[in-house]
Amino acid sequence: MTTTPVALARDLPVQRVMRAQVDGCDLAIWRGISGQVQAWENRCPHRGMRLSYGFVRQDSLACAYHGWHYNCEAVCHYIPAHPELQPPASIKPVTYSVVEHQGVLWVNTRNEAEVPEFPEDSIGIRSITFDCPLSVAFEACLAAQLSDEAGLSLSPRQLGDAPLILSFGNQQQADSVLLLFQPSDLANVVIHVLAHHSYSVDGRIGISQWCESVRRQAELNHEVAMNAGMECTHE
Amino acid sequence: MTIRFYNYVLSGNCYKFRLLASLLAVEYESVAVDFHPGVEHRSEKYLRLNPAGTLPILQADGRVFTETQAMLVWLASKHDKSGAWWPEKNSDAIVQVMQWLGFAARLSATVGELRLHSMLNKDIDAAAAKAGAIKALRELEAHLVQQQIRGEQWLGANSPTVADIACFPYTALSPDAGIEHDAFPAIRQWLYAVRSLDGFVTMPGIHELHEQRDEQSPAAETKTS
Repeated sequence: MTTTPVALARDLPVQRVMRAQVDGCDLAIWRGISGQVQAWENRCPHRGMRLSYGFVRQDSLACAYHGWHYNCEAVCHYIPAHPELQPPASIKPVTYSVVEHQGVLWVNTRNEAEVPEFPEDSIGIRSITFDCPLSVAFEACLAAQLSDEAGLSLSPRQLGDAPLILSFGNQQQADSVLLLFQPSDLANVVIHVLAHHSYSVDGRIGISQWCESVRRQAELNHEVAMNAGMECTHE
Repeated sequence: MTIRFYNYVLSGNCYKFRLLASLLAVEYESVAVDFHPGVEHRSEKYLRLNPAGTLPILQADGRVFTETQAMLVWLASKHDKSGAWWPEKNSDAIVQVMQWLGFAARLSATVGELRLHSMLNKDIDAAAAKAGAIKALRELEAHLVQQQIRGEQWLGANSPTVADIACFPYTALSPDAGIEHDAFPAIRQWLYAVRSLDGFVTMPGIHELHEQRDEQSPAAETKTS
């Protein structure tokens, strides 16, 4: 299994927890006060509650259900209903490998996370969810027209197979806009969008709007394909 | 002069008033109305006060207000000495605030209706409400992404306004309607910022930030017990 981008690092500040899907695994991703990021199975070992509903206090993730606290080593160190109890070491959430690199959080659910090579000098624009399968989203991104700030057209090239990375560039500016694809099992795909740091505020807003335009096209394509499929079944 | 507020605890619109009143430290008399299952808001007593048959209802300054967004403007313009929550002297900001006050009604009509359908079996076209809710939340997310890019974190100005309070409850309550916040990172940041405000109060479905509560650390508790 490969290493997958799950979020822009800036979208997970210290003392926050979020949810992500990777390789069919439901993950709670959180950052303690010291800044270190953890990626765990989204399931409290106590009662199975989603840990992403919990909260981060100092360098511990606490479950929202009964407040069990887990530290950065995934050790349960505090159970509020039994404050004097030293919890058994066997109470451990399942942990995964996660790295923060160039403003992006990357997770690998099987092996050590290895960040693919991708251009530096880019900054996060946004993470946007498309309600369509990966292939439909990818095709729509490939087909979409995108220009740089000078109005010169940018053409896409694929930088990686898994994870899928699309880079839009031209002779003036290679790797102007980067799209990092995070396939999800919920019949949708998250795309983490980055742009070269030289983009102005208006240019960055333009890229954000371009993403929404591509999403409208991708979801429309998907709807048309689904309807066509249903017509075939009727015949 | 008494401020009388007709209230239902599970209503996101009632919560808008309770939240801003708390943030501005305004005291008022709260009258609980049996919205469900009593349908008291549709009784003759309440229809005489508000023929629309909706909640909340505000009685203040010898007048009756039935539109939530107007109640927020009333609270801010009468009780906020800073002038920041209803920035009437800043025409650029006030236009933005009006934009998002208007948008708040769309959140009520989509997320709010879908939530009533999920929680109280309100008979509506749930598929249409869900499509409308996702569309509205995507628009809010897009705006907040643009604000992030501009270095801003609030909807209409560089500090929180009545617009943030008007849009906050039904956005925060969308999980009640079956729409989680996972796909909306900019919305998550903004919700957190609102919940971090001094004087923030909760409602069922919107809890406080436990991580910011000034509590003894677990280790310290163990020692003293």
